[in-house]
Amino acid sequence: MALTPKQQILAAARGQKLDKLPFGARIDVWYNYHSAHGTLPDKYKGWSQVDILRDQGAGVEVRFFAVTREEYRDMEVVETNDPPYITTEYRTPVGTVAKKEVFDTSEGPWIKYEMEKLFKSEKDYPVIKYVMEHTGAVANFEPYYKLREEVGEDGMVMTAAGGLWSPVQRVMREIIGYEQFFYELADRPARVEEMIEAVKDLERRKLRVGIECDLEIFNICANWSDDIQTPVFRKYFIPWFQEVSEFLHARGRLVMAHTDGEMRRLNRMFRETGIDIAEAITPAPQTLVSMKEFREQLGDGATIWGGIPSILFEPMYSDADFDAYIKNMFKEMAPGYRFIVGMGDNVPFDGDINRVGRVVELIDKYGRLPIQV
Amino acid sequence: MADISLLAQAIDRGDMEKAVALTRAAAASGANPKDIIAKGLQAGMASVGEKFSSGEYFLPDMLMAARALKAALEVLKPMLEKTGIPTIGRVVIGTVEGDMHDIGKNVVATFLSGNGFEVFDLGLNVPVQKFVDEVKDKKPDILGMSALLTTTMPVFSKVIKALEQGGLRSSVKVIVGGAPVTQDYANYIGADGYAHDGGRAVPECRKLLGK
Ligand code: B1M
Repeated sequence: MALTPKQQILAAARGQKLDKLPFGARIDVWYNYHSAHGTLPDKYKGWSQVDILRDQGAGVEVRFFAVTREEYRDMEVVETNDPPYITTEYRTPVGTVAKKEVFDTSEGPWIKYEMEKLFKSEKDYPVIKYVMEHTGAVANFEPYYKLREEVGEDGMVMTAAGGLWSPVQRVMREIIGYEQFFYELADRPARVEEMIEAVKDLERRKLRVGIECDLEIFNICANWSDDIQTPVFRKYFIPWFQEVSEFLHARGRLVMAHTDGEMRRLNRMFRETGIDIAEAITPAPQTLVSMKEFREQLGDGATIWGGIPSILFEPMYSDADFDAYIKNMFKEMAPGYRFIVGMGDNVPFDGDINRVGRVVELIDKYGRLPIQV
Repeated sequence: MADISLLAQAIDRGDMEKAVALTRAAAASGANPKDIIAKGLQAGMASVGEKFSSGEYFLPDMLMAARALKAALEVLKPMLEKTGIPTIGRVVIGTVEGDMHDIGKNVVATFLSGNGFEVFDLGLNVPVQKFVDEVKDKKPDILGMSALLTTTMPVFSKVIKALEQGGLRSSVKVIVGGAPVTQDYANYIGADGYAHDGGRAVPECRKLLGK
């Protein structure tokens, strides 16, 4: 019996050999924008993104934040909503810290950005540590199950046990901010490391709750760019990835990273992480790495999911350019095992949705495995 | 006379203490502050830019160098009170509306200011009208715009058109950049300049000003 799209994606992720390239397509940027503006093509008015992907004949990839929620004890958490800003204050016995976020999905991408970070100066270290230590994890499985039911056998809901960005990445990106992070690491390394450890402990609590949910693949990190993470990757990222991968593998689960950035100088270190799937792989012309180089550098132990840089969906590229790119990508990935065709990382709002269907046709024509060059 | 090339080296290595000490020593030995800046601080930053462009350096290398440079400049400030810090040109820079990516734009701004440009950073998610208002107000030689999303790249054109409508286009050179932006795209929208990365933005801006 033929495998379902979900079974195909999981098989490729586990390194099993298939007879055709699997495809897991992601279109939420395009979909959110057109839903919010009432500009979905006539045919798709009132449709869900899952149904649109089904109609295009593609396997589905949708995102769900996390199967746990944070819960706070022994502190007061006060949220003030002043659209599009949300200010959150954490009032603890050792002091108060606050962040100001902007959140909006109407322009397509979900925009969640900390305009003001939680960390502002050295005095915030003990407060943030307190916040992390007094944050618990509770199950948030139901909304995930609901979405999974909607997708069914047609694809995958990608999600995480907790934070989408590993502990170090959360500290860098969300709590301190990238630039200040490097200054703090130079000036007060012990305090930064203590903060990372506190976030790690929180993530461990989330993992212990999240493991009770029967999801197959855990996303454990996102949004690297080699300009930023390479110098600290081996010291701060890899040991965590190894720990989590071991934990998840021992329980029969797969591990994924959303590797949508410039990966040129990170690819070789990726092999040491224990992560099974490098998802949202974005090659040239959007980054400096070709698919052939990705395959060589990530090695045969990792499954690559992605390959179509989002700019290829733009009107700047003709259908002929698009087809030529896809055919060439198949060749570069020959023989094509451990490869799931997907987006790096989305269809942009002015992209042509029918190119998702074009990929399906091209896979039918040229994506039989093993690909012969 | 202090060896100013050692100062350039300290900047290149992001060694703030050494950079400050060498700047003090150079100033005390009677070196012209403008030479200390050009041959020491900016030469060091130029080397960081080259290494960043070639892939040898990373974001933290650039940040440490920028911090060392800033601290060294503080030492020279009292001596430059009358003349001010010499600048090559004035740049207004920002990430366009709808775009929350600012790391790359910050890198570009840092390299430009570290290489003698006077930079006004408008931050991220900058509305079209704000760019126009700032061009009117600050009268920069260059307007720099950054976009990291294919969905926000078209905002470059909107700003260029708004500058045209406001009669300001001929008064300012426009340079654009960001991961999805290419030279072809910059030409296509009528920008004057494009740079692939922060290091390359400096010579490109110099070229735009004929310096
Ligand atoms: C004026 O002249 C110039 C000249 C040169 C200029 C210039 C101006 N500006 C830049 N340059 C150049 O010089 C700089 C220094 O050398 C360089 O700047 P860069 O910014 O390229 O380089 C930096 C030093 C390091 N690189 C970066 O900082 C960007 C890294 C990646 C991984 C990235 C990050 C970190 C983030 N992101 Co986002 N993010 C990605 C990025 C992947 C990538 N390949 O770039 C990209 C840009 N993101 C993307 C997406 C989709 C998104 N992101 C989003 C959010 C975020 C974070 C907030 C999480 C974070 C940004 C944090 C911040 N403060 O900036 C969302 C959008 C939010 C919004 N509205 O802006 C969201 C939509 C995610 C989502 N699903 O919601 C993709 C864009 C795809 C597209 N076609 O448009 C993306 C390419 C990843 C991908 N492969 O899909 C050059 O480009």
